[in-house]
Amino acid sequence: MLTGVSEAVYYILAAIIIGSGVMVVSMKNIFHSALFLVLCFFGVAGIYILLSAEFIAAVQVLIYVGAITILMIFAIMLTARLYSAQIKQSNEQVVPGLIIVSALLVITIFALSKTTWKLSSQAPETQTVAEIGKLLMTTYVLPFEIVSVVLLSALIGAIVIARRD
Amino acid sequence: MDWIIPAVNLKLILPEIVVCLFAILILVTDPFLSKERKIWSAHLSWIAVVIAFIANIRLWNLQEATFTNMFLVDNYATFFKFIFLAGSFLIILISMSYLKREEILHGEYFSLILFSTLGMMLLASGFDLVVIFLGLEIMSVSLYVLAGFKRSDLASNEASLKYFLMGAFATGFLLYGIVMIYGSVGSTNLGQIINHITSNDAGSNLLIWAGAGLLLVGFGFKIASVPFHMWVPDVYQGAPTPITAFISAGPKAAGFAALLRVFLFSFTTIKMDWTMIVWIMAALTMSVGNIVALAQSDIKRMLAYSSIAHAGYVLVALVAGGETGVSSALFYLLAYTFMNIGAFTVVIALGRKGQDNTKLEDYSGLGSRSPILAILMTIFLFSLAGFPPTAGFMAKFYVFGSAVKSGFTGLVIIGVLNSLISVYYYLRIVVLMFMQAPVTRTDNERIKVAFCAILVLIISTWAVLQMGIFPQSLLSLAQASVSSIF
Repeated sequence: MLTGVSEAVYYILAAIIIGSGVMVVSMKNIFHSALFLVLCFFGVAGIYILLSAEFIAAVQVLIYVGAITILMIFAIMLTARLYSAQIKQSNEQVVPGLIIVSALLVITIFALSKTTWKLSSQAPETQTVAEIGKLLMTTYVLPFEIVSVVLLSALIGAIVIARRD
Repeated sequence: MDWIIPAVNLKLILPEIVVCLFAILILVTDPFLSKERKIWSAHLSWIAVVIAFIANIRLWNLQEATFTNMFLVDNYATFFKFIFLAGSFLIILISMSYLKREEILHGEYFSLILFSTLGMMLLASGFDLVVIFLGLEIMSVSLYVLAGFKRSDLASNEASLKYFLMGAFATGFLLYGIVMIYGSVGSTNLGQIINHITSNDAGSNLLIWAGAGLLLVGFGFKIASVPFHMWVPDVYQGAPTPITAFISAGPKAAGFAALLRVFLFSFTTIKMDWTMIVWIMAALTMSVGNIVALAQSDIKRMLAYSSIAHAGYVLVALVAGGETGVSSALFYLLAYTFMNIGAFTVVIALGRKGQDNTKLEDYSGLGSRSPILAILMTIFLFSLAGFPPTAGFMAKFYVFGSAVKSGFTGLVIIGVLNSLISVYYYLRIVVLMFMQAPVTRTDNERIKVAFCAILVLIISTWAVLQMGIFPQSLLSLAQASVSSIF
């Protein structure tokens, strides 16, 4: 359960995530959007640390901040039209979109507040990396193997699309 | 640290291992093949499918889970694997001459087909939402690339990109649904989800509802049901024709395999509550598919909308539920695989290099240019429309019969009316083929059909007629595959 300091930290992080999330979709310059996305991902990593899931937090930073957003920034910088122009972030569908999204928000909040959450009484693991590694090699060995096939087929796919004839 | 290695029974997962190993083997051997011998990759891939099929026969009547209850072999999964492997086998055969003609014969194509098949098999056998999700990903990632395999063709690129963007979006829904179910149950294993739903009052737990709804969106995309069908026409039209046939056969059946498994077997105690939503989806899917198909002038696009409509008929079986409902759905998917691949094989046979000839007027006068192709096409179209004595008729008969038995007469009336509408656009092609003079064309040469394509036509025709005239043997197989679950 969250108490005192951690509760305060949680709300600060949540504010950062939501604030930067709004900036991502409203900034005129797409480069700035990408930078705010980095901030948003860092906030999510903070939440993971707060929930004592350090490994997931590290992965979040490595993959989302380190790989995905950097890739996006590269793509923006290599595409001259994207880099210089002021991109309009809204179109004629903004009103119907807003209505659907607010309906979804109300439904989600309603569902979340009515749910009886399953709470664990165990103390959080201190050695999460070791524990995850053990689970991947025992209980979750099948998904672990399948993921490698997913990556392999994605790799082949990328080569097929990118190679010269 | 204490390590408890779970008991693993590799025999159960043997068909999957065979498919996966051969896919990798093709990748390794393909670079060593000279340009004239690339076809060996194709031969390797159909050999893989045949071996997996034999391995799968040996699993019939087994009911056993392995990998800590994540992978379940039962007749239901085994039956679906037969559908996938048969579909992939036929697709590999029709791909060979097509790829040669279009000069895009690369080994990766067959490797990706095998990976995609592997994903489908995992979808059917997955007894854990994590495995189901990963199976769906292997299947989809391979398909995104295959849809864009004709890289010099802009329409193919567009198909690939559209499929990828929409597919990734749908995957997001599916994952979010899984997360919500995990949040309320505390496990992703279907067995534990069943226990949780039956022991607790699920109606009070809104999170499961939200999760189930999102799962329905994710699967609804894969099976191409309305309102998640927007990607279908463009992808079906733009993708290389064998891949169009592939997407409409195997992956659709795989989506249904997971959908039926999750909704009928895990959410079975709350069936009455979600039936209404699926009822509406089924009615919309049938109607939109058939009505929009009327207006198409391209046969690939027309078959795309027809494929949407057929997903609607199978959804009727899901609404009916129970043993008869599910067995009729299995029978339907098996029949659809053969009649659809058969029809697409004729479409491929009419094409030339760089010129697909998929306009409806290209079919006028086919009856005099190539009577045999025209007659076979007529059989497949009759089956798709649901005329006796073809597989399509028996399949529709069982699906609608099971729905009437469960008391959904209203939905059956909508379904029958839709079948009547569909007769118009299927028969229009038959009329064009036999009662119209051929359009004057510059390349009025004889239509040559490759040996492998002839083989596919023979197998599909035999299957369509066999299931239409003597449906009992395959129907009892479908019933046996369901009885282990109920």
